[in-house]
Amino acid sequence: MKLNRIGIALIVSALGVIALVVTLLVIRQQDSRAAEVRAKGVSLTRSLSSIPVQLLDNSKPGLGVLNTMFAYQDNGDLAYAAITGAGGRTLADVAGRGTFIPATPLPADAITAFGQRSLPNKEGARGLIEFYGPLADRSQGQAFVRVGFYQPGYAVLARDVSFLALLALTMFLLVPLVYIVIKREMAPLDALGRQLHQLADVGMAQQAHAGDVRELAGSLQAYLQFASRRIAQLEHGSLNASADNQVLQYGSKKLAAALQSLPDGLLMLAPGGLVTFASDKVEPLLGIAIDDILEQPVDAWCRDPALRTLLGRHTSAQRGGQRDTVHAHSIDFVPVNVEGKYLSATVQPLTAAHGAMAFGTLLVLRDVTREQLARQAGNDFVAHVSHELKSPLNVIGMYAETLADADANDETLRVESLNVIQDEIERMNALVGNLLNVSKLETGSMSPERNRVRLDDLLRDAYEHALPRAEGKQLRVSLDLPRELEAVAIDKDLFRIALNNLLTNAIKYNRPGGSVTLAARNEDHEIVISVRDTGIGIAADDRERVFDKFYRVSERDAQAPRGGHGLGLYLAAQIVELHHGRIVVDSEPGIGSTFSIHLKIAPAAAGVVTL
Amino acid sequence: MTQRHILLVDDEPHVTRVLRLALEKAGYAVTVAHDGHAALACMAQQLPDVLISDIQMDGMDGRTLCPRARAAYPDHDFLILVMTSMTALEERDWARQLANTEFLEKPLSPRQLVARLAKHFAVSGATA
Repeated sequence: MKLNRIGIALIVSALGVIALVVTLLVIRQQDSRAAEVRAKGVSLTRSLSSIPVQLLDNSKPGLGVLNTMFAYQDNGDLAYAAITGAGGRTLADVAGRGTFIPATPLPADAITAFGQRSLPNKEGARGLIEFYGPLADRSQGQAFVRVGFYQPGYAVLARDVSFLALLALTMFLLVPLVYIVIKREMAPLDALGRQLHQLADVGMAQQAHAGDVRELAGSLQAYLQFASRRIAQLEHGSLNASADNQVLQYGSKKLAAALQSLPDGLLMLAPGGLVTFASDKVEPLLGIAIDDILEQPVDAWCRDPALRTLLGRHTSAQRGGQRDTVHAHSIDFVPVNVEGKYLSATVQPLTAAHGAMAFGTLLVLRDVTREQLARQAGNDFVAHVSHELKSPLNVIGMYAETLADADANDETLRVESLNVIQDEIERMNALVGNLLNVSKLETGSMSPERNRVRLDDLLRDAYEHALPRAEGKQLRVSLDLPRELEAVAIDKDLFRIALNNLLTNAIKYNRPGGSVTLAARNEDHEIVISVRDTGIGIAADDRERVFDKFYRVSERDAQAPRGGHGLGLYLAAQIVELHHGRIVVDSEPGIGSTFSIHLKIAPAAAGVVTL
Repeated sequence: MTQRHILLVDDEPHVTRVLRLALEKAGYAVTVAHDGHAALACMAQQLPDVLISDIQMDGMDGRTLCPRARAAYPDHDFLILVMTSMTALEERDWARQLANTEFLEKPLSPRQLVARLAKHFAVSGATA
């Protein structure tokens, strides 16, 4: 399309050029013809003016210069020649066929000088150019020579038509040549255009030739690469500074956000000791508002002596350029402003380039309350257990000594000693066993293997196991089971420990002649196993805490020691919890206590064997 | 010779039972109290020649009892024996502040206690 238009434009402009050239040639020829006519006219007029009138006179046919001249003219340009006297009288004349000599009077200057003028011809004929001048022979008085020529006509062009046609043809032949050259030069651009058109028309949905697209993509990519290189060069100069600034700001904000999100509290101190940065976590840790800390020296805000000493020592050492400031120092302390918290503070120099650059001090505050409490609990546990283990050993040792020193016939002391020794050994045994179980429970190494079981046998076993111990203390033990007990999913071994601990307590804290009842019943979706005693009971305050680890009900008023170690009920409760059950205590001091374990009934599943 | 009076304070009945047997066998008059309050009440009744006390007790513990007993009867000269574990060294500082106060190492031997008391009374009896 585009090329066709270019072709048409080329043809039109070629024609224009041809027309222009022809016109210029014609005008040039006209001029040269006019000049030729003029030269001829002037020379002819001058020649005639010097000839005597007698010679010019052509009144006699075939004689006279005028006739001779006219007869031998070499072309048909000469229209007429005339000799006129004063007042316009014609002395002699000669004219071409059909030509009338105009009667127009000569201008006044014709007496002295030669001249030239244009004269209109008769209608339909060519115009005339007249040359005139005074005649030298004045024998007839004042006379003038007048020579008329036809205006050069266009007829003369016919002679040049072949030349002009050849010129036009040559120029016209150049047009297709130029067209072909342009077309060849523009071919790649044209192809790119066509590809783009194709892509636009076909759209991405249809399958374009991968090769075309690749080619197109290749050329586009090359162009884009060049363009982006150029753009980058331009941008590099003008945008460098502001871009750098933005990157710096972005980086700084990111760093601040990261520092704020750290779980520990962070403080940065300038080498002079002023606080330059404090993360939000510092406020709850130290109980001091951030605004009171920022841009302040340590002495102005720090009310914890240990922390103040640590920071003071560090910053002064840094100011003195001492080498020990390259190391971090840590302390643990209790913050003055916050209750019940333990903190760990670590100071560290902020340096770069291997200590060559110093930015001050970094203080990291960490809440170590949990760790501290855990450590405390661990210490308490060890102290408690060692006390619990030493007490029976102490008693056993003393009774053994007493037994050794006793009279051989003091039977009462002997029996008492042996009983106490046996009791204490049992107590230690239970303690060690329970300790192991608690440890296994707490470390998670004791994973219950729950099976769907009927509790009857388990309860009967526990009952039989408790019987001899109860009888030794003159206690009555009874087992109260319904005819049919729903099945529950439990770990039998673990559950036996829980049950045994409850029965041991029921026997231990009972009164002489009392009773212990082990019972079970179906209740809604639960099985309730209860251990009831007629013992000392538990006061309301103690009831909430009996399941706590190492908690022991005060036995001050007891007549005989019970030797509890505060693990039995804790362990029982943990085991019940492991079975997703619950344990509750109901008690009245002086009357007795009932511990009840509630377990969900395990629905019978197809293919599951009840053990 | 008048019978020496011993006040034995411990919340562990087995301990007081064995010690009482040993001390009574050695010829001492023994009163037993299960905590500090009871011990002070006993002292109001009868001042002992020796106060033997455990440290860890429910109610008033030995750490409270001993200074109080000493302060309550400044004119009465009596020996205080504190029963303590060999390992619980940190418990000893407060006891050192008190005059005429010594330690009894646990585990306790009734024989050693009797021997120690005999030595004490022999010395104090000789100087008295």
